Amino acid sequence: MANRIDSLSAPLLVSWQLTRDCDLCCLHCCTDSAPGKRLPDELDAEEAMRVVEEIARNQVPYVMLCGGEPLVVPHFFRIAEALGAAGVQLKIETNGQRLDAGAVERLARLPVRSVQVSLDGDSQEVYERQRPGGSLAKAHAACHTVRAAGLPLEITFAPTRLNLHEAGAVIRRAHALGAFRFNTGKLMRVGTAARLWDRLEPSTGQYRDFRDLLEREARNLGRQMEFCYSPFTLGDALQASLGEPPATLLVLPNGWVKVAAALPHICGDLRRESLAEAWAAYCGAWRDEAVLAGIRRAAGNELLHADANNWRRLAVSEV
Amino acid sequence: MGDMKVNLQSEKTEQEVRIEKIKPGERLNWETPKMEDVSEQVMAQPYIRFT
Repeated sequence: MANRIDSLSAPLLVSWQLTRDCDLCCLHCCTDSAPGKRLPDELDAEEAMRVVEEIARNQVPYVMLCGGEPLVVPHFFRIAEALGAAGVQLKIETNGQRLDAGAVERLARLPVRSVQVSLDGDSQEVYERQRPGGSLAKAHAACHTVRAAGLPLEITFAPTRLNLHEAGAVIRRAHALGAFRFNTGKLMRVGTAARLWDRLEPSTGQYRDFRDLLEREARNLGRQMEFCYSPFTLGDALQASLGEPPATLLVLPNGWVKVAAALPHICGDLRRESLAEAWAAYCGAWRDEAVLAGIRRAAGNELLHADANNWRRLAVSEV
Repeated sequence: MGDMKVNLQSEKTEQEVRIEKIKPGERLNWETPKMEDVSEQVMAQPYIRFT
């Protein structure tokens, strides 16, 4: 049976993880990013610009630049500005540590639909416990600068047992900062978070209280700030994807393309293939019974998500 | 021109899956992705929220 994605000539969204390098080493990181974790085979500037050309040529409307921390990539602005010049809408996901006035000024000239800043605590103590090396003041300053420049701001909160007691304060902070959306959900058992699961996983009671808080605050503030936390779990999202696969290409720092975030399967390589070829392979993977069986298993078993970063290629051949 | 075959390679197993190849002529019937279709797609994915 054909999916909605089969009618599209290209993805609606490219989520492009530019690097595994980061200026923080967050305990909950789902990509295993940290300082010095740049992969040896990450796309260089010229290769990345070829991907930009492919995105523009295929008329992909929306690109999310993330990482790691995208702003540590030397050619970040070259990529963002070329995409913007091609009319591609942008979302930037950042920890805000390097998002100073100069950076925001450059972003403000581009078609940026959203700057998403992670605030995983409302006190320096809690924030830094989950984001070692991070400055909450810098993250807040980045948010203020983004709003002062007229750019839309989103806040993301990754819940752990270390920070859930400050969730309400972060929600109020996001509202006061002028965020148009507050993003959260269940902590994903992927990457660094999977390795530190016993230390991070909130209890059932903590999650119950958190859901109550979100529903309450969504009632109170929902007209002023959107609350985005559904589907709450990665498993629920995978289950929903079986009904309608996301029209999203998740591109890794080396140009590889994933079938699904929670799975290790790689269906394309933008270093060697066109975006159209990678998109065709992605759409085909979501029609294949063997792949779908793997997705069903992952939807029902959170433990399998811990394998998501052990990437494995799907070899494509014609018959 | 025919179908595409995809092999899922791993250390212990090799899965073989088939992918229907889109013929060049069919491309004309494809819909160009539009920004107004994006929002729900994006926000439905927790991984996108947390990356």
